[in-house]
Amino acid sequence: MSDQPTDLIQGTLEMLILKTLALAPLHGYGIALRIEQVSAGAFRVNPGSLLPALSRMERAGHVKGDWHATENNRRAKYYELTVKGRRALQSETENWGRQIAAINRILEA
Amino acid sequence: MGLFRSAQDGIRALSDKRKRNHEIDEELESFIGESVSEKMRHGMSPEDAIRAARAEVGSTEVVRHKVWRAGWESAADTLWRDLTYTLRRISRAPGLVFVIVLSIGLGIAANATIFSIVSKFILSPAPVGDPSTLVTIYRTYDRGQCCNELPFPVYRDIREQAKSFSGVSAYDELVPASISSSGEPQRLWGQATSENYFDVAQLRMAAGRGFTANEYHAPVIVLGYRAWKQHFAGDPSVIGRPITVSGHLYTVVGIAPPNFHGLDPILDPQFWVPLGNLTELTANSPKEESRFTQWIRVVGRLQPGTTKGQAMQELNVIAERLAQAHPETDKNNGFHFEPTNAPPPRGKQAVVLFLTGLSAVALLVLFIACANVANLLLAQGAQRQREMAVRLALGATRAQLLRQLLIESIVLALAGGIVGVLLSIWATYALSSFHLPVPISVDTSVNVDARVLLYSFLLSLAAGFICGFVPAWTASRPLMPNALKGEEALARPGHRWSLRSSLVVAQISLSLILLCAAGLFLRSLENASRIDVGFRSRGLVMMAIDPQLHRYTPERSVQLLSAVRERIAALPGVVSASTSDGVPLSMGHRADGFEVPGRPKPQGQNVVELYMVGSDYFETLGIPRVAGRDLGEENPTATRVGVVNEEFVRRFFQGENPVGHIVNGAGVRYQIVGVVKNIKARTIDEDLRPVLYRSINQTIGPDPSQDGYTIMARYEGDPAALIDAMQHQIHAIDPALAVFNIKTMEEHVHEALFLQRLVGTIFTVFAVTGLLLAVIGLYSVMSYSVSQRTREIGVRMALGARASQVQSMIVRGGMRLAIVSLVIGLPLALAAARLTTSLLYGVRPWDVATFTLVPALLIAVALIACWIPSRRASRVDPIAALRMD
Repeated sequence: MSDQPTDLIQGTLEMLILKTLALAPLHGYGIALRIEQVSAGAFRVNPGSLLPALSRMERAGHVKGDWHATENNRRAKYYELTVKGRRALQSETENWGRQIAAINRILEA
Repeated sequence: MGLFRSAQDGIRALSDKRKRNHEIDEELESFIGESVSEKMRHGMSPEDAIRAARAEVGSTEVVRHKVWRAGWESAADTLWRDLTYTLRRISRAPGLVFVIVLSIGLGIAANATIFSIVSKFILSPAPVGDPSTLVTIYRTYDRGQCCNELPFPVYRDIREQAKSFSGVSAYDELVPASISSSGEPQRLWGQATSENYFDVAQLRMAAGRGFTANEYHAPVIVLGYRAWKQHFAGDPSVIGRPITVSGHLYTVVGIAPPNFHGLDPILDPQFWVPLGNLTELTANSPKEESRFTQWIRVVGRLQPGTTKGQAMQELNVIAERLAQAHPETDKNNGFHFEPTNAPPPRGKQAVVLFLTGLSAVALLVLFIACANVANLLLAQGAQRQREMAVRLALGATRAQLLRQLLIESIVLALAGGIVGVLLSIWATYALSSFHLPVPISVDTSVNVDARVLLYSFLLSLAAGFICGFVPAWTASRPLMPNALKGEEALARPGHRWSLRSSLVVAQISLSLILLCAAGLFLRSLENASRIDVGFRSRGLVMMAIDPQLHRYTPERSVQLLSAVRERIAALPGVVSASTSDGVPLSMGHRADGFEVPGRPKPQGQNVVELYMVGSDYFETLGIPRVAGRDLGEENPTATRVGVVNEEFVRRFFQGENPVGHIVNGAGVRYQIVGVVKNIKARTIDEDLRPVLYRSINQTIGPDPSQDGYTIMARYEGDPAALIDAMQHQIHAIDPALAVFNIKTMEEHVHEALFLQRLVGTIFTVFAVTGLLLAVIGLYSVMSYSVSQRTREIGVRMALGARASQVQSMIVRGGMRLAIVSLVIGLPLALAAARLTTSLLYGVRPWDVATFTLVPALLIAVALIACWIPSRRASRVDPIAALRMD
């Protein structure tokens, strides 16, 4: 069971990306890799969902993308959290906490 | 901010799709590259790493598609593709497009034109800063009966006591003045306003300023924008300059903004002066201190934060206080207010009813047009069933086909909307040429404004949806096996009476209703224009002057009018000339309640129309004398004399000879010296009214006219030359006199028929449009059925049917539809006719001529529409028809 990657709950991907970027700017693969590592392989994000999400977030002004060279000397688009993105992360985290607490209460009832 | 950004990025992506795709590919490549490096770092061979990374990522195409879908632009892109496909498709059937666009265009034009009237007179806000907090205050009487203007002291009471208003302003609706700068003097209408008028209205002046707080009596004037452009050439240096206003010097302080013509929707004043100057500008102006005379209009600006309910409560309290303080005048009176742009409450109901009726009729026209379009689209859908079936078989969903077809009808309807708006621009222009037969200046012009555009847009959208939905629905679900074989796939088995026939029947029935209404109104117009108005309108030309606007005393006015009359009567070609204070058929003039001392109360109302006239009046107008004498140059100080009409004699004297008797009107006594035949006094379709003609010489002093004095001349020959000569004679006596309201009596009577002509014109246009659309519908159904039945007809002819038999078979089929429509439509038309009663003159709503001629006309037109396709049917060559496939 633990070997199988879990499907992300609808709508949480953007929150995870925001959280990942809160530490440092990363490129697309970097984000996917970090999410995978931190979740100990539970969440595997493929570009089919990552890139649309990044495009949406860039439109919404939550992240800002710039092309830089990577450590492997490749050009990649690095995403960086904006002030608006930081605020969004905060509110989404609070929201998520409330939801989890509520769900837990229901499950434990 | 995010929205703007999204729109910007989306547009950039759409405008350069290649670049956007390249960007996505590049990002994906770098993703794969990093993934490969990472895997190699964990010890994979380069080949394995690349293969594994590619497998994880999946198809580049899918990723690209998903990224595109994340933005709004992909939806826009599909819509655009559908649109271009639609345009390509419909451009292949230009004839069909033409008919559909024109049908919808006519329907939309009808609605947009009527709506432009609604927009102007009902919807448009007063042209002031924040119209929502400006209200017009009226006075109610007899415990809430609506409504009157206010006596001046009541205005002052409100202004001093009401805390709900940040400002209360008063104005006299219309004040005439003769205004001149350097050229010929112009008689213009304006308003006299309290000094805070422009502040309360919150107007941004085009130039200069409004009035200041201490200018209640100051000789200052604000010019209307149009007056400034026309009479002062738009010269900005006119501000601060003195100009002559009815013989007094006034300094121009400001120019009102363009399109501002007072606070009433219909009046068209072109200057504003402070109210304190009213007495010097108009003779006989109402007394400011009288609590009886109700004459001033009052507008209030609500205090910010105060609701209308609170303001009304406060006004009720003030009304009670006033009733106690002035029981003799203010008892049982109250207040009432309306938004300033609203039509006056007394005429409101009639106006709203009339416009609702017209809008309903316009919607009928659009409905007929939609039925037509639905019909054509159904026929077209029938021809596309194979394409639809193929697309369905290839995996398109019904929803996709439905969307495609709906887009098609909506595109067509929007194109129709554009045509409709263009047509209605022309129609409103034509409508604006209807003038009211009144001596004051009014603005009845209508035009296509933003509200009309929005309404037309929404209406065409709705029309496209409505007339496209049913055809799209049926076309998107063909009977698959039949369709793929290329056979009839839309007609469900067992349906003899098709949807298309029902649509045609609905069209013909509705246009029958419209045609009957148009017939009634045209008969009414014909009757009204043949009415004996009581005077001879041909060969009569008239123009007005107002000596009081040029500081003439009553004595000098009398001399002037006599001199002008004599000079004009002496002109070659002039048979006789006279003067009067008003022209009949001007929708209302002076009227007073009358009584005859020592005689019983009159039969019917005691209101008598009053005209002041000079010598030779009855001869000039051609009103025959019945008894007594005419009025001549009467002695101003002798007993006042009057000539009455026969209706006066009937009502007040029970038909006995009144000559020599004294009558009493509003406190003034007149001795009757003559009797003349009746005339139409206010409107052309009125019942007879009692009229009393009094002498100008005797009345000009105590009861002067606000509208000036009209000189009428009966002539033989060319009116244009005579008009010049008459003006020349007037200016020969006093070159400073402004001459206005120049027209022939025939023009005036023509204008007096405006309501009949307006309604007649609108209904005729609507009805002819409806008929045309219905006939196109019938024709297209018939010719489609002929083309569908070619093979059947071929078989019939091969079996020995003659051409004439085939032809009559087709015609019978079409006429069956027409007859069914008549059976349905005629009772509806008879019911609708009863609603028109109040607008008809001299014709009953169930007019036999209309209700026999109109159906006959409809049948005749329907016959032609069926006959043309039937001829084609009769020319079918059986051999060719049977060989067809």
